[in-house]
Amino acid sequence: MENVPPAPPKSLLELYLGFLSIGARSFGGVLPWAHRVMVEERRWIAPADFAEVLALCQFLPGPNVGNVSIVLGRRWFGPVGSLVAFTGLMALPLIWVFALALLYADFSSNPAVRAVVTGVGIAGGGLFIGTAFKLARPLARKPWGIALALGCFGVIALGRVSLFAVLPVAAVLGWFAARKGVI
Amino acid sequence: MLQIAGYFAMLSLVSVGGIPSVMPEMQRLVVDVQGWMSAAEYTQIFAIAQAAPGPNVLVTALIGWKVAGVAGGFVALGAFCGPAAALSYWVGGYWDRMRDAAWRKVLQRALVPISVGFIVSGGYVLATPLGVAWQSALIAGVSAAALYATRVNPLWILAGGGLLGFLLF
Repeated sequence: MENVPPAPPKSLLELYLGFLSIGARSFGGVLPWAHRVMVEERRWIAPADFAEVLALCQFLPGPNVGNVSIVLGRRWFGPVGSLVAFTGLMALPLIWVFALALLYADFSSNPAVRAVVTGVGIAGGGLFIGTAFKLARPLARKPWGIALALGCFGVIALGRVSLFAVLPVAAVLGWFAARKGVI
Repeated sequence: MLQIAGYFAMLSLVSVGGIPSVMPEMQRLVVDVQGWMSAAEYTQIFAIAQAAPGPNVLVTALIGWKVAGVAGGFVALGAFCGPAAALSYWVGGYWDRMRDAAWRKVLQRALVPISVGFIVSGGYVLATPLGVAWQSALIAGVSAAALYATRVNPLWILAGGGLLGFLLF
């Protein structure tokens, strides 16, 4: 089995079902399941190729795995493929998230339920912070990079300045710092 | 609803790194500027999107749903995904050509500290729905440390947050 080269999905139906199964199982994050289904289970794409597509999609705006579905759908079946892969990915999670929200609406007057959900939300905020620290590892020895990150945090989170004002300034500063090799 | 669509479409194009990067701006718009919901409600909506399986971009559908009903949900999700998807589609075709371009590597290095700052900001606004409170700081701090230092499934961290929320609030 290990020697069989990866092969793209043969039909739009296979593509749809593959992405449907990614969305259906993606508790606690889509990315691990995207890798598992496409690289390991269905063997649509080689691991290195997957990593490269993912890097592109992290670099582009938008939801990362959503972008993966667009890029790979296009590669295999053109525009229809993009549409099919993206809808497959989103279909079941969308239904579930609405169902959960409706359920919560019924119980949100209950203080205990509200406390639990608030706790989950705050923990989710904590996950963001933990993720950011993981991403920040390459910055450990780059004081200018840390200063730029802290600056962004200060004006956005504490100063409540709009992202649209901060991003251009930060991008220009980051660009020059990166050109000079200090980040 | 048009307001949501227009604003989310703009956010779409700057969402390098996905939802976490634009989380502070989205919260600022929805809570501070438009007053569509309170900071507490915003964090709860986000919690629901986190607890459900699927990409966390679905939080946009819940915001739209809360503001303008189910149709609003689809519009918000479409507006947030559409422009970025169009860009991905277009760029995906040219990816091989720019793989080794020097400017791409410079840009990639430049984006790291910026997205780190944005994502920490997103975490901060989500973790302070009740203002700065020690209970929130405890839950967020433990969650962040658990994610950073262990390989435990994030779902358990969220469950722990729910338990601490029940005990502390």
